[in-house]
This record gives sequence, C-alpha cells and structure tokens, in this order.
Amino acid sequence: MKSGRRKGRELPTVLWLAVRDYLHEWQMSVCFILALAAILAPMMVLFGLKFGIVTGMVDRLVQDPRNREIRPVGSGHFSPAWFELVRARGDVAFVAPKTRSLAATMNLYKAEGSAPSKIVNAELIPSGPGDPMLYPDAPKPQKIGEVIVSDSVARKLEALRGDTIDGSVARIYRGARERVHLPLQVIGIAPPGAFARDGAFVSGSLLDAVEDYRDGRAVPETSWPGEEPYEGERWYPGFRLFARSIYDVAALADTLQEGTGIEVRTRSADIEIVQSLDRNLSIVFWVVALVALVGFSLSLGASLWANVDRKRRELSVLRLIGVRTGGIIWFPVVQALLTGVFGWLLAGLIYLSVESALNHMFSGSLAFGESICRLLPEHYLGALYLTLASCVVASVLGGFKVSKIEPSEGMREY
Amino acid sequence: MFFDRNRLNIGSASRTRIFSVPGRMMGYRLRDVLKVRAAEGAEFRLTVPQLDIEKGDKIALVGPSGCGKSTLLDMLALVLSPSKATIFDLHTEDAKPQDIALYWRKRRRDVLSTIRKHHIGYVLQTGGLLPFISVRDNIRLSLRLAPRAGWDTMKFVVGELGIARHLDKLPGALSVGERQRVAIARALVHRPSIVIADEPTASLDPCNASRIMKLFVRLTGELNLTLVIASHDADVVRELGLRELEHSFHATDDENVVVSEFKG
Repeated sequence: MKSGRRKGRELPTVLWLAVRDYLHEWQMSVCFILALAAILAPMMVLFGLKFGIVTGMVDRLVQDPRNREIRPVGSGHFSPAWFELVRARGDVAFVAPKTRSLAATMNLYKAEGSAPSKIVNAELIPSGPGDPMLYPDAPKPQKIGEVIVSDSVARKLEALRGDTIDGSVARIYRGARERVHLPLQVIGIAPPGAFARDGAFVSGSLLDAVEDYRDGRAVPETSWPGEEPYEGERWYPGFRLFARSIYDVAALADTLQEGTGIEVRTRSADIEIVQSLDRNLSIVFWVVALVALVGFSLSLGASLWANVDRKRRELSVLRLIGVRTGGIIWFPVVQALLTGVFGWLLAGLIYLSVESALNHMFSGSLAFGESICRLLPEHYLGALYLTLASCVVASVLGGFKVSKIEPSEGMREY
Repeated sequence: MFFDRNRLNIGSASRTRIFSVPGRMMGYRLRDVLKVRAAEGAEFRLTVPQLDIEKGDKIALVGPSGCGKSTLLDMLALVLSPSKATIFDLHTEDAKPQDIALYWRKRRRDVLSTIRKHHIGYVLQTGGLLPFISVRDNIRLSLRLAPRAGWDTMKFVVGELGIARHLDKLPGALSVGERQRVAIARALVHRPSIVIADEPTASLDPCNASRIMKLFVRLTGELNLTLVIASHDADVVRELGLRELEHSFHATDDENVVVSEFKG
C-alpha cells in the first residue's frame, strides 16, 4: 500500500516519459544521434590531428637539446665572473667556457688491443655535469684525464667505456716540434646525434691545459714543460650554453645579446614556427567547430521544434492530467540531452577507430610513442560539454514552443 | 460488484467532509460565464447564466454538435479560460471554494494544473493515451502525478473495466473500445473529485457504447465522484438517469453570431 505518498512526482515522471518516448521513436532518435555524430566525429578527428601534429612537433623540439642551444657568433671576451652569473640564472640549464677553437683539438689513439688503432684528430668540447647533449644519468667528464668520445671516434678507435686511450698535443716551440701525451680514460660514449664530427667531451681543465701548452706554457697538472704557467683570471673567447626549455631560448638569447654585445645564434625560429602553427591551426579549428556546432544546434533545434508539433497531442494530454508548464518543458530538453550523450559516445567510437587507422597509416614516419592524431581525456570531456551545451541551446526553442501548449488546443487533434 | 470503500482507503479529508459538513456540498458554482470564440468569420458565444453542480451529481450536456459542449467541458476541466465570469467557483476537498475565475485572471496556470492533477479526471472522445508507454503505465500516469489514492483503486477499476489482460500492451495494440476503457480507467484511478467525459463512447458501435457508458456511470457512482458527461444522445442520458442541463440556441440580430446557452 503506497497511499501515504501525496507528494507529486512530476519532474521524474516527465523525465521518464521523455526517455520512453525517445526509445519508442528509436528510428527518429537514431537519426538525431547519427546527425550529431556525423558532425562531432570529424571535429574530433580534426582536433585530434591538430593536437597530435603540434604535440609531436613540440615533443621533437623539446626532446632535442640542440634546440635549446645558444651559440655565440665570432669570438668574445668572457670572464669567470660572467660565467658564474650566467650559470646562476634560472633559465640556463648548462654553460661551459670554450677556449680558442683552433687550440681545442687533440690526437687520440688506442694503443691497447690486438693492433694499435689509427690516430683520430678530435675536437675538444667543453663539458661537465648537466651537459644536455650527453646521456643524463651517465657520468660526465670532470677531471683532466676523463673523456667521453663521440660516436664516430668510438667506432674509429674501437673504444669502449672503461678503455684508456692516448691523447696527444703537438706544438712548435722555439722552432722545434714537440708533442706531449696524456692517458685518457673513456668514461662513456656520447649519444649518436650529440656530435656529428670526431669529437671528445672533456673537462674544462683539459681544455685549459691544451690551450696553455699550445701557447708555449708549462702545465704543472700534467707535467707538460714550457714557460711560466698561466696565472690569474682566465678569460674565454666563447661558451657552450643551453637554455632550460625551448620557450626560454628567445628571451635568453636577447638578454645575452644585450648584455655582452655579442651576436648569438639559436634555433628559436623553428620554435616560433611551431608556436605560430599551433595558433593558426587552433584558429582554423575553432572557426570550423563553431560553424559546425551552430549548424548542428539549429538543425537539432528545428527538429525538436517540429517534434513538439508532432507530439502536440501527447503533450496536451500531459498538460490535461495536470503536468505544469515548468515540468513539461523538460520533455524536449531531456530528449536533446539524450541525443547529445549518445551522439557523443558514437562520435567518440568513430574518432577512436579513425585515430588508430591514421596512426597506423603514418606509423612509418613517426617515432616510437608518437601519434599523428591523439586526444587527451579532457578533450573528450570538452567535446561532451560543448555538445550538451549546444543541445540545451537547441532544446530551448522546443521548450519554448512546449510551454505555449494549452491542453485545450491539442488534445482533440488527431 | 460491491465496492468496499474502506478497502479502497479513502483519504481522511474526504471522509471528514462526508460526515461532518452539513447541507449541500457544492462542486461547481458558475454565474454569468461567457466564452467567445471566433471561427471562420463567425462568432460563437457560449453563455452559462447559472450552473450549480453538487458533489456526487451526474450531469449530462446534451445537444447537437457545435453547440459548445466541449467548450463548456474544457472550462469545467480548467483547461480553457472563460472570456468573462462573474462567479466560477470550484469546491474540492478544501474548506474554501477555489475561485477559478480569479486564477485565470491572474494567470495562475500552475495552480489550475495542480487542481486538475488532483481533482479532475478527463475522458476524451478518443484515446488521449500516450502511445509510447504500456496500458499499465498510461493508467498509472495520473496516479504517479497525484498519488493520493491507494493502488488498490487501480486493481478495482482495471478489474471492473475488464482490461487486466491488456495491461502490458501498448495502446496501439488495442481496439478503439478497449482504448476507451483504458482512458476511463486513467480518469478514475487517482480518485479525483470530478470526472469529465466528452462523448466517451461516440466512436464505438452502439452495442459497445451502451455497455461501456453504463459501466462508466456505475463506476463513478461507486467511487462517489461527480460526473459531467457530454453526449448527443438524449435517450442514453435518460436511460442512465443523468441530470440533463437545459440547452438552447438564441437568435441574434447578426447572422454571423451564434449564441448557445447552458443552464442548470
């Protein structure tokens, strides 16, 4: 016995009726859902492509540390204090002083093994802790006798990590040709893309030593003979510098250029191209999306409006048995929301299959883990939100028409 | 079948009224009510100078088609506003009569909806059933909206009308006569104070029509409801012992103006 319940349950009843009618007229409902999915799925694919491509490009930019490098053009004059200042900046990931490039070479060869290797003339690259071109977790050259050889040098010397190789520097001193040797421990091999030519990542102290020796000075640390050792502050003609992120490059380059007066070169143009591509694609996407969603809203609105006309009799009967205006306007709103949710689900399924097809198709030109078309969960939610919003806007038309129905008008029409 | 009122769990309010309020129990009280309708260049004026309907009354509106029966029924069902009304009161369970004319003037449609929901059942000439829900859900609809009576009423009404075996079908699967029985069930099941019926059997064959009409009138009597029914068949109305309202057409100077009057 449920006679105790006197409270009217108008809203749940209207919601229930709207759902029943929606299911009963499933052919109509399916048409609405298909119409929505036909608009929403291409929008999702378009957005997925934009997001996938731009994200992929940004990822590539971010992953390649060379995009963060700022290189001086020509030579300057940089004091240790300047290097301290730059190193302390938050937007600088790594900075190392560079000696004169003509002096920064060394002959390398491996004496151990079955037969002595050939001699390789390698450029010396100032490195140290935090060098972004080297493997992040591997040890970095910090002592004068430590070296990380480039990929090509490792191949030519057949050197492995842990090997000891011979490094030698030659000079012409007081008319005589001289050469000194230094045993170098290979503490690692640089990543293949880190340095294209023959090179060795070494500590600053080795670079200083090689430059001093070439200048005719003695180097006490390595017992190389010559004139008085270098003393006092050492100034450098150049630097190796990497910004913290690709987005810091442009501003940091400007600061350096203004502060030192030296011209610098970066890849910031590439970064700007990607950023402006992202902006422009976003504008295109939103224009298309706006047109499509407005069009969909209008078409759904017109359908709901016509539907209210078609269901005039049933809605009049509901008014006759006492459903209030405030209750009955939920009828088209609920049906529009159902269309929105189901259309979104269908569009999501279509999108997912197109996404996997596209990513499969382009898998050849993509790196592992990259996708040309992808959406994040928040994008799906955003699509649902936009869809439901336009459905509600559309059903306002129908709701307005429903609210005008007087029970006495429609109930005798058949 | 004898109708056991206690088993049907009549609400305490109505029991109080039946036993404690002396004198005549008013249903409707109308004075000088006018409805003007324009149609195809002609003007139709329905006037009701005086109409009193008591609780439990069985009223019939008899007249040819176009005499405004449906118009008056719609006004009594609170779905059509009178163009003018000096008095249009409706006595429901509440102590105070409801001033329907005032509600219309003040556009309190939701109040009218609420009164309709709880106190009025309407049987249309055909159907009025929702095609997308089952017969059971159609009948329950008024009960869902105004769950004042026990669900036992449903069992009783459905049993009396002989539609128990159709409950799970959709209305579209039923014959016209069966659909009218369902419509009657829906108008009665929430135990309204007043049941209004607009030629409820007009679309049936005479044999079926008479059977259903008798059943309908008997049921409203057993449930102690006020009944207002429109019919074009005066013989049937007399046979069922309904009180017939006086109806007349009035001549006017303008041939484009038709005046129809109900009184009683």
